[in-house]
Amino acid sequence: MIYYAIEVMAPLLLAGLGGLFAELAGVLNIALEGMMLAGAFAAIVSASLTGSIAAGMLGGLIAGTVLAYLFYFVGIRMRANIFIVGLAINLLAAGSIPFLSSAMYGTKGVLRLPRVPRMPGFFVGIETGFPLLDQIFLGHSFGVYLTVPAVLLAGLVLQRTPFGLRLRSTGKNPETLRAVGLNPDRYRRAALLISGMGAGLAGSLLALRLGVYLPNVSAGRGWIALVTIYLGYKRPFGVLIAALCFALAEGVSVAAQGVLQIPGTILLGLPYILTVLAMIAYSAMRRVAPSDD
Amino acid sequence: MLTQRVSHLAISLLCAALFVVPAVLFLGCAPVEEEEAGRPYSIAVFVPGVVEGSPTYEMLVEGVRRAVDESENAEVRVVEGGFNQAEWSGSITSLAATESYDLIVSSNPSLPEIANEVSQSFPDQRFLVLDGYWEGNPRMRTVMFNQREQAYLNGYFAGLVTTGGMPASREARRIGLLAGQEYPMMNQVIRPAFLEGAQVVDPEIELDFRVLGNWFDAGRAADLANSMLDRGVDVILSIAGGGNQGVIATARDRDAYVLWFDSSGFHHGPGIVIGSSLVKLDQAAYERTRAAINGSLEFGVGEVLGVADGYVTFDSEDPNYTEYVPETIRAQHEQLMQRLMDEPMEFDIPGAN
Repeated sequence: MIYYAIEVMAPLLLAGLGGLFAELAGVLNIALEGMMLAGAFAAIVSASLTGSIAAGMLGGLIAGTVLAYLFYFVGIRMRANIFIVGLAINLLAAGSIPFLSSAMYGTKGVLRLPRVPRMPGFFVGIETGFPLLDQIFLGHSFGVYLTVPAVLLAGLVLQRTPFGLRLRSTGKNPETLRAVGLNPDRYRRAALLISGMGAGLAGSLLALRLGVYLPNVSAGRGWIALVTIYLGYKRPFGVLIAALCFALAEGVSVAAQGVLQIPGTILLGLPYILTVLAMIAYSAMRRVAPSDD
Repeated sequence: MLTQRVSHLAISLLCAALFVVPAVLFLGCAPVEEEEAGRPYSIAVFVPGVVEGSPTYEMLVEGVRRAVDESENAEVRVVEGGFNQAEWSGSITSLAATESYDLIVSSNPSLPEIANEVSQSFPDQRFLVLDGYWEGNPRMRTVMFNQREQAYLNGYFAGLVTTGGMPASREARRIGLLAGQEYPMMNQVIRPAFLEGAQVVDPEIELDFRVLGNWFDAGRAADLANSMLDRGVDVILSIAGGGNQGVIATARDRDAYVLWFDSSGFHHGPGIVIGSSLVKLDQAAYERTRAAINGSLEFGVGEVLGVADGYVTFDSEDPNYTEYVPETIRAQHEQLMQRLMDEPMEFDIPGAN
């Protein structure tokens, strides 16, 4: 169960970390879902054209980034309502992908293309003698091993670099930035592009793991990723813990269906019930000890 | 003062135009007695979802279109109702309200009830509903497929696979069923019939039943399939829409088998999808539509079609079936088909009126 929870966590964490950058820069990126969807589609198309997983992931990353730039251009440059722009991006992804899919491959449904390679696993067949450690660390797909450095890198950039400091200042007090001659919009743009990269990459992991693109493949994970930002106290390590908690709850609901005599439909609500409970707990804890964000 | 009166007059005229013009247009569109003789037989196909990507609805549309194409004086319009079930009743009411269609054809278990309600308000409107059941409405004909036999066919095949008939069969005699959602037909017919069929092969076979919670989350479907395989399942009947792709991905990674329901699924994963039970919805749609156009279709009837009628079958024609399934399994399954031809299974339709 823990093994699969780690696999479930990877895309949530990448999208959540990307969304964290936008959030800290003062832009709530509610378009993560659409960016993931675009990333998933582009990943399958790129992987099929090149026969390469790396190219597929790059395609997903680029697709997410393109939508993120659109978000920046309309929402920040043109000063449109951020919330409306985010919703529009989600609708644009959901509406335009079937159109593109139909135009390119003659189907709006399941897109199973030739030459899409299987996602490689790493450290497969190795055993440490400790099953728990094996499940956590060994035999996972490439995307899982990508997320660990991503958390460290995000923490490093946000906490230890001038860029991270300025980015966080953009969210807290953009006037300070202007006072020293810096343009906050440049940091908002950078933050949004990073969030697009994270969401696009997350989408590519979802699709490449399956080897197909299908409508609604993101299945609400972009929204869950958004929740992990808040549950994680807007810190990279916190996002990691929040994504892991959600993935474990999902893993429990999946595994429990096989052993408990409780209807599966009820068990499937478990991750969402836990998410709501966690949000309530988060809200209560913030009242007691507000974070520095 | 004059300006005010003029503006009042203009608003009144505008309001009148808004109400009168559509009414005139609507009346203009209504069937006129003189035109009746040469007017083509008009059919609307209401798709409760979207056509593309849904084998069932593709079969529905294909069957009706074929009947219309073969007729000299018939026309068809396909209306996609989308996935919001709450809107279907309104959409069908709108279609009936136009009074433009001699027949509204659709396919979904929930459609007979909706069509029955609509027909109370529009008594001249006739309906043909496939994959649903309703008896006694003189303006509706329904065609239901014997899903007990269909699930039984899959179950028997799964039983043959899990008892060691295939290279990747495992020791534990456990088969899997993944459902998109729980609904009466699934819980009361498909699930028990699937296990019943498997236990004909070996009464010790157990069923691992899982629910996806929707019809599209292939990622979660892959996790559910992984969890099933961890418990010794080696063959999974997947009835989960887009989620089926997740089951295939897992089966491909971990050497297991997948069974398909309603349409042929071999092309989704040659060597992985090893069995498909079929309903010939296209044939049923074609034949009933053709009869409706000719005026020979009897309404008020709810018919049930099964293996003996030739509308429920197992895809033994696909080359992948003969390539990947051993001769012994194919022969045993063929014998079961023959038995169902001679002795059809009783089918209690959940919630039948």
